[in-house]
Amino acid sequence: MENKEFNNPHYYQNRELSWIGFNKRVLGEARDKNNPLLERLKFLSITASNLDEFVMVRVASLKDMVHAGYDKPDIAGMTPVKQLNEINKSIHELVNLQYSTYNRSLIPLLKKNGIHLVKSHEELTKQQKEYVDLYFKENIYPVLTPMAVDSSRPFPLIRNKSLNIAALLKKKKKHKEELEFATVQVPSLLPRVVKLPDSRGDATVITLEEIIERNVDKLFLNYDVICAHPYRIMRNADLSIDEDEASDLLKEIQKQLKKRQWGEAIRLEVEDIIDDRLLKILVKELAIKDKDIYKINGPLDLTFLMKMYSLEGYEHLKAPKYQPQPVKGMSLEEDIFKQIRSKDILLHHPYQSFDPVVDFIKSASKDPKVLAIKQTLYRVSGNSPIIEALAQAAENGKQVSVLVELKARFDEENNIVWAKMLEKAGCHVIYGLVGLKTHSKITLIVRKEEDGIRRYVHLGTGNYNDATAKLYTDLGLLTCAEAIGEDATAVFNMLSGYSEPLSWNKLALAPLWLREKFIKLIKREEVNALAGKQARIIAKMNSLCDKTIIEELYRASSVGVKIELIVRGICCLKVGIEGVSDNISVRSIVGNFLEHGRIFYFYNGGVGEVYMGSADWMPRNLDRRVEILFPVENESLKKEVTKILQRQLEDNVKAHILQQDGTYLKVNRRGKQKFNSQDFFCREAIRYGKVKEENHMSRVFIPIEKI
Amino acid sequence: MQITMFAAIDIGSYEVGMKIFELSSKAGMKQIDFIRHRIELGKDAYVLEKIGCDLTDKLCNVLMDFVEIMKSYQVDAYRACATSAVREAKNTIMLLDQIRLRTGLKVEVLSNSEQRFLRYKSIAYRVKNFDKIIQTSTAILDVGGGSTQFSLYDKDTLIATQNIRMGSLRIREKLAGLSKYTTNIQALVEELVNSDISNLYSQYVRDYTIKNIIAVGDYLNYMQSDSGDYITREKFLSSFENVFRLTTDEIAAKLLIPEEEASLLIPSLIIYKRIIEETGAEFIWTPGVKLSDGIAYDYAENNKIIKVMHNFEHDIIASAQNIGKRYMNNKEHTKMLEELSLKIFDSTVKIHGMGERERLLLQIAVILHDCGKYISLSAAAECSYNIIMATEIIGLSHLERQIIANAVKFNTTEFVYYDALAGKIDKASYILLEKLTAILRVSNALDRSHRQKFKNVKVVLKDKELIIMVDTVDNIVLEKGLFGEKAEFFEEVFSIKPVIKQNKKC
Repeated sequence: MENKEFNNPHYYQNRELSWIGFNKRVLGEARDKNNPLLERLKFLSITASNLDEFVMVRVASLKDMVHAGYDKPDIAGMTPVKQLNEINKSIHELVNLQYSTYNRSLIPLLKKNGIHLVKSHEELTKQQKEYVDLYFKENIYPVLTPMAVDSSRPFPLIRNKSLNIAALLKKKKKHKEELEFATVQVPSLLPRVVKLPDSRGDATVITLEEIIERNVDKLFLNYDVICAHPYRIMRNADLSIDEDEASDLLKEIQKQLKKRQWGEAIRLEVEDIIDDRLLKILVKELAIKDKDIYKINGPLDLTFLMKMYSLEGYEHLKAPKYQPQPVKGMSLEEDIFKQIRSKDILLHHPYQSFDPVVDFIKSASKDPKVLAIKQTLYRVSGNSPIIEALAQAAENGKQVSVLVELKARFDEENNIVWAKMLEKAGCHVIYGLVGLKTHSKITLIVRKEEDGIRRYVHLGTGNYNDATAKLYTDLGLLTCAEAIGEDATAVFNMLSGYSEPLSWNKLALAPLWLREKFIKLIKREEVNALAGKQARIIAKMNSLCDKTIIEELYRASSVGVKIELIVRGICCLKVGIEGVSDNISVRSIVGNFLEHGRIFYFYNGGVGEVYMGSADWMPRNLDRRVEILFPVENESLKKEVTKILQRQLEDNVKAHILQQDGTYLKVNRRGKQKFNSQDFFCREAIRYGKVKEENHMSRVFIPIEKI
Repeated sequence: MQITMFAAIDIGSYEVGMKIFELSSKAGMKQIDFIRHRIELGKDAYVLEKIGCDLTDKLCNVLMDFVEIMKSYQVDAYRACATSAVREAKNTIMLLDQIRLRTGLKVEVLSNSEQRFLRYKSIAYRVKNFDKIIQTSTAILDVGGGSTQFSLYDKDTLIATQNIRMGSLRIREKLAGLSKYTTNIQALVEELVNSDISNLYSQYVRDYTIKNIIAVGDYLNYMQSDSGDYITREKFLSSFENVFRLTTDEIAAKLLIPEEEASLLIPSLIIYKRIIEETGAEFIWTPGVKLSDGIAYDYAENNKIIKVMHNFEHDIIASAQNIGKRYMNNKEHTKMLEELSLKIFDSTVKIHGMGERERLLLQIAVILHDCGKYISLSAAAECSYNIIMATEIIGLSHLERQIIANAVKFNTTEFVYYDALAGKIDKASYILLEKLTAILRVSNALDRSHRQKFKNVKVVLKDKELIIMVDTVDNIVLEKGLFGEKAEFFEEVFSIKPVIKQNKKC
C-alpha cells in the first residue's frame, strides 16, 4: 500500500478531543452506580482538576497559536481555530454532564447517606446561621481583602484559578442609582467546606463562598450590597520558556512563575443565576469571549469534593483501602544488593510496595561499599524519603549526582526548593538540560565489591514519588546486569554533558535513538507478517499521538500484524478503518488506580521481546524529552510482564473499547464473568504477600518446655 | 582479588576522554567507564598555533570534572597524556602549568612515536593472534585528528613506520574555506590526501605485499563494530560507499551521530579507503582501541599486573637495524660493537647500576652510532645526531631518543658537561647519557680499525680495573695506542680503568 494513504488526516483523531473523551471516561466512573459513593465523588473531583489543567495548558496553547496567526492543521487536519471551536463545544457538554451528575445523582445520594451539602446559605437553620456568622467573624473576616473598583482604583488582578466573589454596591443614603463593582477573593488557605453543627448527627457542610456571601455586607459597611456571586477565571499558563536564550534556567523559571498569573483570561466560570449587570462588568474587564463563559448550576470548582472524600466516619462509602504488598521474592531483612545479585527483581506498583526502591537508595546511602549514587528526579513527593536518603548519602561522602527536572509541569516551585537543599547537602545537582525535559526514571548505584566495580540499576515507568506510587500503576526493574550497568553509566555521562557512548548495549534513549528503535521493532513485525509468519504487538501506554508511529502501526496492521493497544488517555489512532486499521484494537482502562505503566510487547516470530520505559508514543516523549526504554530479558520476569498485559486485555469491568466512530464503550460482557484487572492484581499481590508472611520466621521466642 | 583502579586521560585534538579501568592479573583490563567531552583543541592549535584562553578554560573545567570522577571511583593511579594538538601549540608549557595549578593533574605531552607506541601495545593486547598475523606483511593504520601513522610489520617485526601529517581535523580545517567553491568535498579531500599517499607507496608499500591491515582511529566504530576479528577488504570498503554519497547532515542523521563528528568522519574514511586501495590488503581488523587503552595497558604491564603480549623490544631493535641499513652501516663493525659493549655493560652492572631498558638504549646507540657517515664523513657525529633526532623509532620516548642521539654524538666528539648542555636534558638523563657514552666510547675504541681483530673477548672486573681480555694474533697497536684516550672518560665516569690484555695463544 502507498505511503500517502496512511497519511490521510481522516485516519487521525484530534488529540484534544480525544483527551476530552478520556475525561469523559473518568466522569463515567463518577456516574457508575457500581462504584462506592465517595469514590464517585472523588472521580468527579478528578475530572474537574483535569479539566482545569487542560484548559490552562492545551487551550491556552491553541489560543497562543491563534494569536500568532499560526494556522497549520494538526494530525487530523484541523486548524487551531477549528480545534478551539470543537473543544469549546465538547467542554460545555462535559461541564453540563459534570453538574448534572453532581446535582441529580450525587447530591441526592449523599443526602440519603446522611451527608448534606447545603446549597445556599438561605437554607441554614437558625443555629447553623449563628455558627457560620461566628466562623466568619473569627476565621474568615481577618484574611479577606475586599477590593472596590472606581475611577481612582482600577480593576484588580484576579489570580489564576482563584475563586472570587463579585458584588454590586450602592452607597447608602444616596438616592442616585450609581452602582459600584467590588470583588473579594475566597481565601484559598481556608478549607473550602465548613462542617456545621447538626442536631440529627448527620454530616452537614457548606461551602466557604456561601458563608462569605451571607456576610458580604460586613465588608462594605457604607454600602448596600445589591447582589454578590462567585466567579472563577482561568488564565493562559503554559510555561513556554525559550531555553536557548535563558542563560540561567533556574532564574528564568522563577521569573516565569511570577509571570504566570498575568496571562490572558481564557475561561470564566460563574453561577448560572448571576446578575447580568455583574456579568457584564466581568466580561468587559476580563475581555473574555462569550463562548468562554461557563454558567454553572452548582458550586464552582468541584475539586473541593476531594475534601469531602476525606470526611471521617464514612468508610463504608469508600472502596476498601488497599495496602501495597511486599514484593514477590524479596525480603526486608536480607541485604538488597545481595537480593539483586541473585536475580533481577520486577516491581509492580501500587500492588506491590514502593519501599524496596526507597530502601535501595537508603541502603546505598549508608553502605560503605557504595561509591556513587546517580538519579534522575522528575516529580517527587513533599518530604520525600528519597531526597532525604540522597542528602544523607552525600553527607556520608558518597558521590551523589541528581538530575532534577525543573520543567515538570506545575511542580517547579516545589522542585527548586528541595533541589537547593540537595545541593547544600553536597550533591551534584543538574537542573535539567537545555531544550529537553528529562523524563526518564533511572537510578544507578556504583558499588566497589571484592571482585571489582558492580553497578546496580533501577529503571522504572513511573516517577520516584512514594506518594503517587500508591495510586499510579507502574513497573520497575532492579538489576545488576553488566550490560545495563554500562549503559546506565553512559546515560549519566550524557546527562552530565559528556559525549554519547560509542554504542549502547540494551537501553534506547530519546530523543536520539528511541523513535528509530520503536519503528524498527514495529517494522520487524510487519516483515514477519509479510513473510506469512505470525506477528503481534501489544503496547500499553498513557497516550498515543505520534503520527510516524501511528503510520507504522497502520502499515503493520494493513499487512496483518495483530495490534492490541492499551491506551489510557489520548489516542489519535482510529480503529476499524478498512485496509488500514482493521487489525488494531484500542482499550482504555480507567480504574481506582491511575494506569501509568508503559509496556511494549513484540511477538518477534515466537521469540517474544518485552520492553518497558518512561515514554509514551507522543512526539514530546520521542523528540523533546530524555526517555529510556529498557528490555526485560529474564525469562520468568518477561512472562510476568506479558501476563500483566494479558490480564489487562481480559479486563471487562474497567476497560473501555474504542469504537470506529471515536467513542469508547465499556466491554460487553455477554454473560461472561466479571474481571477487573486492577482488583485481580491486588488479590494476587495479597496472596503472594501472605505466602511470604507465613514462611516468615516468627519473632516471638518459643520456649521449649518439655524435654 | 587485587584490583587496581586506573584512570587514563587522553587530551586529543578534538576530544578529551577518560577511561576508568579495573586492572587485575585475573581479569586483565576491564573498562568501567568512558567519559568523553568534545573540545576541538586542534582548531586552535593547527590554525592559530596556540591554544586560546577559552579552550584552556573549557579544558580545565572538563579535567576538573574528571578529577571528581576519579575520586568517586577511588582511583589508585592515573596517567594523563596529551597528543598532537597540545604538542604543536606554542604555549604548551603555560597550558600544562595552568592545568596543573587548576586541576592538580600532571599532564604529559607524548611525542608522536610514544603516542603510537601506546596504541600499538593495546592493539597487540586486543587483536587475537597478533603475533601470528604479523608473520605476514601487516600494516597498522592509525588515523588521528592531526596525523596518520602508518607502520609496517613483516615476519614478526616492525619494519618501518611513518607519520603523515594528514588527519581528520587537520584536513577539515584546511579545506574549511573551500567548501564554498565546490560541493564535492570528497574529491577535494582525496586530491589532498593522494600526494602524501603516493610518497608512502613508493617508500614502503611497493616492496611488500601487504596482506593485512589493522585499522584504528576514532571514527571507525561508526562503520565497523570493534572486534578482535577481521573482515574482508570488500566488506570493509563497501560499508563506506553509502556514506560517501551523503552530505554531512545526512550522515549525522543516518548514523545518528552528532554533526561535528560526521564532519570528521569523511576525511578519516577517505584516508582509510585510499591507503587500503593502494596496498591491496585482503583482511582488515578494527580492534577499536583508543589511546587510553594503551595508557592503561602500559601501566598494567609496567606494574606487572598483566603479561606482555608482544615483545616490543624486538621491534625497537629491528627498526633501529632497518634505519642502520638505510644509512649503509658497516654491519660487521656494528655487530662486533654490539657484542663488546653489551659484554662491558653486563660485567659492570654493579658499578653502573643500570637496568634492562638502559641496556636496550645502549644497544640502539651502538646500532645507530655510524649512520651519519652516510651523509658526511667529516661531520659524522653531528649528522648521526640529526638523523636520530629526525627519525621516529616507535617504542622509544622522545627523551630516550635524545639520550641516544647525544651518546652517539659524544662517542666521537668532545663530551659536553651538564652545565653546558643548558637545560636541554634533566639530571637523571644526563647521568645516563654519561654512562652510555663511556661504554660506547670504550667499545668503539676496541674496534678502531673496523676490522674485527678481536675474538673471544672476555671482560672481567678486578679491583679498580676493567680487564678486557682479547684473543688475537693480529697487531693491535692501533687499538691499544688510542685506547687510553677513550678509557680516560670511562675512568672519569666509573672510577674504573679499562685495560686491554692480549692473548696471542690461539
